[in-house]
Amino acid sequence: MIEITSMPIILIIILGTAGVFLPIISIIQKKTISSTLYWIISLTALLFSIFYVVYRLISSDTLSTFSEDVLTIDLLGNLFAISMLLVAILTTVGSLDFIRKKSHSSIYFSLILLSTIGMVLVAYSTDLIMLFVAWELMSIPTYVLAGFLKKNPSSNESALKYFLFGALSSAIIIYGISITYGLTGSTNITEVIRIFSTIDAEMLPLSLLAISMFIAGFGFKMGLVPFHMWLPDTYEGAPPTITALLAAGTKKAGFAAAIRIIIIGTIALNFDWMVALGIIAIMTMTIGNIAAILQKNLTRMLAYSSIGHAGYILIGLSTYPLSNIGLQGSLFHIFNHAIMKCTAFIAITGVLIAIKTTYIEKIKGLGIKMPITALGFTISLLALAGVPPLNGFWSKLMLFGAALDAGSTYSWMYWLAIAGVLNSALSLAYYGWIIRKMYFEGEKITTIKEPRSIIAVMIFSILFIVGIGVYPEPIIQFTDKIIFQLTMFLS
Amino acid sequence: MVDISFLVISVLTVVCAIASLELRSLIYGSIALMGSLLGIAFFFLLLDAPFVAMFQVAVYVGSIAVLILFTVMLVKRELIFTKIEDPKRKYIGVGLMLILIVGLGSVIMDSGLKSISTHSAPIDFNEIGEDFLTYYWPALVIMALILSSSITGALVLARRENIENEQHTN
Repeated sequence: MIEITSMPIILIIILGTAGVFLPIISIIQKKTISSTLYWIISLTALLFSIFYVVYRLISSDTLSTFSEDVLTIDLLGNLFAISMLLVAILTTVGSLDFIRKKSHSSIYFSLILLSTIGMVLVAYSTDLIMLFVAWELMSIPTYVLAGFLKKNPSSNESALKYFLFGALSSAIIIYGISITYGLTGSTNITEVIRIFSTIDAEMLPLSLLAISMFIAGFGFKMGLVPFHMWLPDTYEGAPPTITALLAAGTKKAGFAAAIRIIIIGTIALNFDWMVALGIIAIMTMTIGNIAAILQKNLTRMLAYSSIGHAGYILIGLSTYPLSNIGLQGSLFHIFNHAIMKCTAFIAITGVLIAIKTTYIEKIKGLGIKMPITALGFTISLLALAGVPPLNGFWSKLMLFGAALDAGSTYSWMYWLAIAGVLNSALSLAYYGWIIRKMYFEGEKITTIKEPRSIIAVMIFSILFIVGIGVYPEPIIQFTDKIIFQLTMFLS
Repeated sequence: MVDISFLVISVLTVVCAIASLELRSLIYGSIALMGSLLGIAFFFLLLDAPFVAMFQVAVYVGSIAVLILFTVMLVKRELIFTKIEDPKRKYIGVGLMLILIVGLGSVIMDSGLKSISTHSAPIDFNEIGEDFLTYYWPALVIMALILSSSITGALVLARRENIENEQHTN
């Protein structure tokens, strides 16, 4: 039985208390309270949580990868928890000016906090029931948040599509869980993996069916092709701050779950899944990038780019265990992508607040109109493209390098690296098009007052992206320790 | 006997599920949904899980389906679903469903499931209850948070802003 003083439970208490009490405060107060108060409460809870995770990470040596309990405190979970809490902090900070003139701000911040608990717990879960419950806590608040602009039909459409596909993915996951439980008699992932490694040959197809269900179920959230149909419409219609949370937070939780169950599970089953994952990776990055180049709306373009990045991350997962650098690169790219994409969507929020549109043709001269937002946006786009010396370059280098490394064993893996490089070049074309519109087009431009909350996010993100780009060593070492833990567990 | 009951219940459950999606009248759709949920309760009975069956009837048929029925009666249902769906999509959906059923069915039938003994010991519900309060206790806490977020979210989405604004003005 997990202790009440363990880290995930403390996080539930901090974030859960704030999340539950925010709407209650708004109800019991007769006078209308400024949304700034709710913002301060949420931000304090999130900052306290991330400091607590970092403190526990520094002060104690967490070596267990999987535990016999429903939750574990390991380095893999810590990496995802820090990424998701960072994303939640950036989303909350960036939301201040966006939500100020809108009603129900207390519930808006409350739902962000509750969804964050879900994301963090998905990363720490070592039990299928716990994982599913955390998955639902992550998803349900975001269904509401996607439709938060009730009078906007595209927000309604976005929420409905997201809800229907989310419900379908949950149903598929629960089907996978039920087959797994039927085969193993346990919901604990450690136990499931132990039984999977010695399962009868005649039960292997059913085990693979369960793993396929997990790939499909988690694949919806990760935006893998062919489970990506909902993603552009949802990202376009949802409030841009929430799109940041979806693209950088919930999507990454899908990867956390995938690494814990799919990657470890297939290794336990001793089944060669590399070809299947490799094909999905190439399809995902190619379809994502080709579709992105055809878009005229910033949000939609970045939504497709997000699909493309899921493909890059999958390169690393498909090369593991042939190359440890692949999984290391995937983890590093997940961390980087969370910050880069969150920055890009928060910059779009700033653009939407200031010029009321997100069409690429309308952002001409943004570099002069909104210099800091444009700079943050440009840095994040260049990092997404993998331009050195920004953080995205190093993670992409590790991913493509791992594919080349693995190519010496399976020659088809060279194609993963080639597809990755070609897609990166393709993505630079549409990111470059946005940068050109911002800096090299537009006449008679005057400066617009930039929202302060957006400026804060941009300054932090620029420092973060450039800082990790110049000195990536700590994160690379951290991911190396995670791989060491996983390898120890598997051996 | 079990096989015949299983077939009859399966047909009823699936037909009710399809009816709940396809019927234009929301009232009849909700009643069909009740039938489908009741069918699932019978499956639990066949699986020697009367406790779960009882919960299925009490929670899903007794409260959730009735709640849906009341909600349907309280909203202006004539405004919903006026657009006729493209029949081509329906055929594609049915085709995909058949492919999925055949695919899943063949994997399950080819596996070694038939060799599994079904004469297992009866489920100890005390043990389940104990597990919920010991091993699964964080999951119970999270379920409470899910309910909390669902309720606040539903209130926000269902609240009519114009009425609320009028009240503020008054």
